[in-house]
Amino acid sequence: MSRVPFSTPRLDRRQLLKLGVGAGAASLLPLSGLQARTLSTSARIVILGGGAAGMAMANRLSNRLDGARITIVEPRETHHYQPGWTLVASGVWRPEKTMRPNANFVPSGVTWVRQPAVGIDAEQRRVSLADASVLEYDYLVVATGLQLNYHLIDGMSPDLVGTHGIGSVYASIEGATRTRDAIDAWIASGGGKGIFTAAPTPVKCAGAPLKMTFTTLSRLEDTGRRDDFQVDYMSPGAGLFSQPWINDFVKQRFDDQGVNRRHHYRLSAIDPGARQAEFTFVGPDSEFTSHHELREAEFSQEGERRVIADYDFIHVVPPMSAPDFVRESDLIARDGPFRGEWLDVDIHTMQHNRYPEVFGIGDVIGAPINKTAASVKAQAPVVEANLLAQMQSQPLPARHNGYTSCPMITGIGKAMLVEFGYDNNFDFLPSFPFIDPRDESWAAWVMKDRMLQPAYYAVLEGQA
Amino acid sequence: MTIQGAFTILMYALAPFLWLIVAGVVVLVAVQLIARLRGYRTLGYRCLGANLAALLVGLSGLWWIPAFTNSRLGYVATAFDWVAMIGAVIGLAIAAWLVLHPLSYLVRGKRQA
Repeated sequence: MSRVPFSTPRLDRRQLLKLGVGAGAASLLPLSGLQARTLSTSARIVILGGGAAGMAMANRLSNRLDGARITIVEPRETHHYQPGWTLVASGVWRPEKTMRPNANFVPSGVTWVRQPAVGIDAEQRRVSLADASVLEYDYLVVATGLQLNYHLIDGMSPDLVGTHGIGSVYASIEGATRTRDAIDAWIASGGGKGIFTAAPTPVKCAGAPLKMTFTTLSRLEDTGRRDDFQVDYMSPGAGLFSQPWINDFVKQRFDDQGVNRRHHYRLSAIDPGARQAEFTFVGPDSEFTSHHELREAEFSQEGERRVIADYDFIHVVPPMSAPDFVRESDLIARDGPFRGEWLDVDIHTMQHNRYPEVFGIGDVIGAPINKTAASVKAQAPVVEANLLAQMQSQPLPARHNGYTSCPMITGIGKAMLVEFGYDNNFDFLPSFPFIDPRDESWAAWVMKDRMLQPAYYAVLEGQA
Repeated sequence: MTIQGAFTILMYALAPFLWLIVAGVVVLVAVQLIARLRGYRTLGYRCLGANLAALLVGLSGLWWIPAFTNSRLGYVATAFDWVAMIGAVIGLAIAAWLVLHPLSYLVRGKRQA
């Protein structure tokens, strides 16, 4: 186990500026508005994962708890701003823009364990690490993110991204960069067929497959030879997006832009050398959220209708699930649409349904929507408030309304600020009364391009 | 969101351009200061060329502000888009005028006076 060295009193330029500005602002505020009540405790809190959710919780809990022994388990040294990967793969951003050292965000006083977790024993309240060491906890925050299951597509591997006309924005920052190169090569070839796929499971940033299609369409249209390129979109479900109004909009826009939509097909195999993809018909009842049924009934290889399609470029979206060590633990959902695949939490309180000392946040939880950084922003204060209440044996006071946001890029330079939640069939929850989520706008694009990354880092610091 | 949170976001957003902002403010303050030390008064000096140049700088924002955001003017579509764009153009023109007007005085205005 390793520990982050405590920082010296020296402030860097960023901290100094923030301190100065913050001090000015602080003088304007009443004291009660500045200081949330802290709780004295000696509890051992383990946070699994140092992505957006884990890091936000580490900062929030370290601010609110006095004396707690907080440990964050995260093997990576670099923090990736994953919402920026679509912009990297579209050639708008440089990949370096999405990376910062994790050390910038780990709060002092929190122990940073640079090991992957490999097991959870919920009964004994223990987490096993890759180096065979064990962390015992009183409270556990599961923020592991999710696992990309490329292996469920026969012949596919993340190593193939960037070769043989294969792209996949999800693979990694290197994968996003190589996806950009693969799209560049396809466009430079002057024509041919591109296939964009979606996954038969809940996915992180569910708008990303659509955004990749839209930004590529933008680039194809800019060549002045759009008609030389065929663009197909293969969807495992009847819908393309959870929010009904946006779903209808995207379908109509795809039709207007000459995208051939085929529904109820999942990518089941790929032959990179031949540049051929196999799609399996998954039936008219399939939808994104019926993940478990899809695994049982449709990941079977027998008696299914298949289509072999040639491609010059293909964008692969892998099936996704909770990481294997979470799936194999007692914490996984045992029934319902997320059984066997996702963390079993109450989607409103974020508390585990069977282990009250366990909370989940971020991509790993079983929820119909909510695998976005914007969801983390909404979930983090709920987990903080409810975990503190749980520690004091009080009723859980906070509820998550399912808020999520997707800046739906409909072309390079324009977007729709789509915000919605669980209620009323995923009704809109706009943050700004002056931005209509149904309008394509430059302002929404500027938010995606310039403002959401700063807001994301503020979430990591527990400030937003 | 707390005020501190808003400032955190603002600092992250401005950090890549801090050098540009500082350089712009330094130029503006320096030109204003030197001109005023040499007798320049904002309302006491008239220069059509400086006014037109500031206007042109502002209007040029219609091209490069969308380009700066990896977009294009054709995508400025909603009422809020236009309010934001016109605000940016006006702000740019005012900033340009605050530099160009005293600069014009230093270059030619004083000779004419």
